[in-house]
Amino acid sequence: MVAWITSLLPAVVGGVLVWAGAFKLAGRRAAAVARRGALPGLVGKDRAVPVYRAVGGVELAVGALLLLPPVAAADAVASTVLCVGFLGFLGYSRAVAPESSCGCLSDKHTPVRWRSFARAAVLAVASGLALLGTAHWVDAVASRPAAAVAVLLGAALVVVALSEDLDGYWLMPLRRLRVRLRHPLGRTAAAGFDVPVASSVQQLLRSPAYLAAGGWVRSDLLDTWDEGEWRILNYAARYGERQATAVFAVPRTRYEPAEVRGALVDEADRSVLWQHAQEPVPA
Amino acid sequence: MNGSPLDRRRFLNTAVLGTATAVVGATALGSVAPEAAFAANRPDGVGGGDLSAPDPNFAEGRITGITGSMLMVAGSDRTLHRIRLTAATSVWKLRPTTLDQAKVGDGLYARGVRMGDGTLAADAVWLNIVNLVVHISSIGRDVIHFDHHGDRVVGHVIAGTTAAVYNDTPAVNDLSLLKVGGHAQVIGAWRPDTNEVDIATVYAAA
Repeated sequence: MVAWITSLLPAVVGGVLVWAGAFKLAGRRAAAVARRGALPGLVGKDRAVPVYRAVGGVELAVGALLLLPPVAAADAVASTVLCVGFLGFLGYSRAVAPESSCGCLSDKHTPVRWRSFARAAVLAVASGLALLGTAHWVDAVASRPAAAVAVLLGAALVVVALSEDLDGYWLMPLRRLRVRLRHPLGRTAAAGFDVPVASSVQQLLRSPAYLAAGGWVRSDLLDTWDEGEWRILNYAARYGERQATAVFAVPRTRYEPAEVRGALVDEADRSVLWQHAQEPVPA
Repeated sequence: MNGSPLDRRRFLNTAVLGTATAVVGATALGSVAPEAAFAANRPDGVGGGDLSAPDPNFAEGRITGITGSMLMVAGSDRTLHRIRLTAATSVWKLRPTTLDQAKVGDGLYARGVRMGDGTLAADAVWLNIVNLVVHISSIGRDVIHFDHHGDRVVGHVIAGTTAAVYNDTPAVNDLSLLKVGGHAQVIGAWRPDTNEVDIATVYAAA
C-alpha cells in the first residue's frame, strides 16, 4: 500500500515541476517576474533572467524524468535536492526581500508567506518519499484506477490550496459566493437611513454656498451637529485679517445642494460677516 | 469668550439658519466675490512662488512629542516640525475630533501657515490618514481584507462612521454592495505600526 502510494508521488511532483519549468521558460511575463523577485539580489541584476530561465529548464528536465519511465532513484533524489533548494531560496527571499514575489508558478505577485514554504516542503517530502516507490506511476494508476484518481486529486488539491498564485481561481469565487449568499456587512444596510457626515460634506462641496465661501475656509471640518432637518457643519475661516467661522447648513436627508445655506461669523464679537443669498425659487 | 458650547451652537445655528440676522456690511471689508478669496495674497502663498521648493505651509511625519497644544513631528525626510494648534484648527482622526485624541507615534499631515519662529500654525491636521487603492480580498463581520499591491491590509468597519460611496453617488452607511475581488479606494485612519486601518470612506463600484 505504502509502496503503491509512493509510486504515485512522482506524478504529482513531476506535474508541478513541469508546470513551474514551462512557466519560467515560456511564460510571457517570466522575465519581468524574474526581475521582480529576490533573484537579482542573489545573482546580480544582469544574471537574474538567465538564471531564472535556467532554473526553469532544470525544473522541466527533472519533472520530465519523474513523469517518464524508467523509475530511477536518481530522479527522486534530483527532485528532492531541487525542492530543498527552493526552500532555501524562499528563506533567502523572506529574509532579504520579504515583499518580493515568489515567482514560483505564475506571474501573479505573491509575496513569500507560509503557504509558499508549505508547498515547497510538501514537494520536498513527496520527492523524498518517491524514493520508496517501486513501480512507474502509470502502472500504479492502471492497477487501481479509482483509488489512484482519488489520491492524485487529493494531492493536487493540497498543492492548489498551498499555491497563493492560484487563489484567484478558487478562493475568490468561493468568497464571492459566500458574500452573495449572506453578506457579512448586510446589517449595515438595515442600520437605518442615518446619513453619514461624509455625505453631507459631499453635498456641501457641490453647493453654490460653498462655491461662494470656500475661498475663506481655512480648516477641515471642525464640528458638526444636527438641527432638525439641517446638518450644521462649521469650519475655521479667515476673512481679510479677521479670524472667522464659516458655518453651513446642509439638508440632512435630502440631496439639494442649491438649498445649502452658509454664513461667515466672527465669534469674538458675534457679528455676521456674510450670508449666502439664496437664489429665489421660481414660483 | 463664547460662553458654553451649547450657547455657541445656538448662535451659529441662528447665524446660518436665521432669516433676520443683521449682516455687518461685508462689502465694507472688500469684495465678497469668491475670486477675491482665491486671488493672490493668500497667506499660504498659494498662487505664486517657487513651485519646486517644498511647501513651507505643509508638514508630514510622525508625532514624537506633545506639549500643550504644540506637536513635535519628525518628518519622513527627517525634517523636524513644531506644529501649533489652536481652537480654530481642525483635527481629523477617522472623524472630526480634538487635539486630545493625538498620540505620540501617530502619523500626521498638517496644513497651515509657517510663522516667523519656524512653527507651523496649523489650520488643519489629519492624523494617521491613509488613502489606499486596493482590491477587496475578503469580507467578514466588521472587517474587510484588502490586497494593496500584494500586501494585506485589514480594514475595520466602524459602525456609524464608516461610509461607502458607490459610483460617485452620495455617501451611505450601507456597505452591503461591496464585492469580493472588486477595486476600491479607501480613506481611513491607520493604526500606527500595524497593517490595519479603520475605514472612514470606501469608494467602490456597485
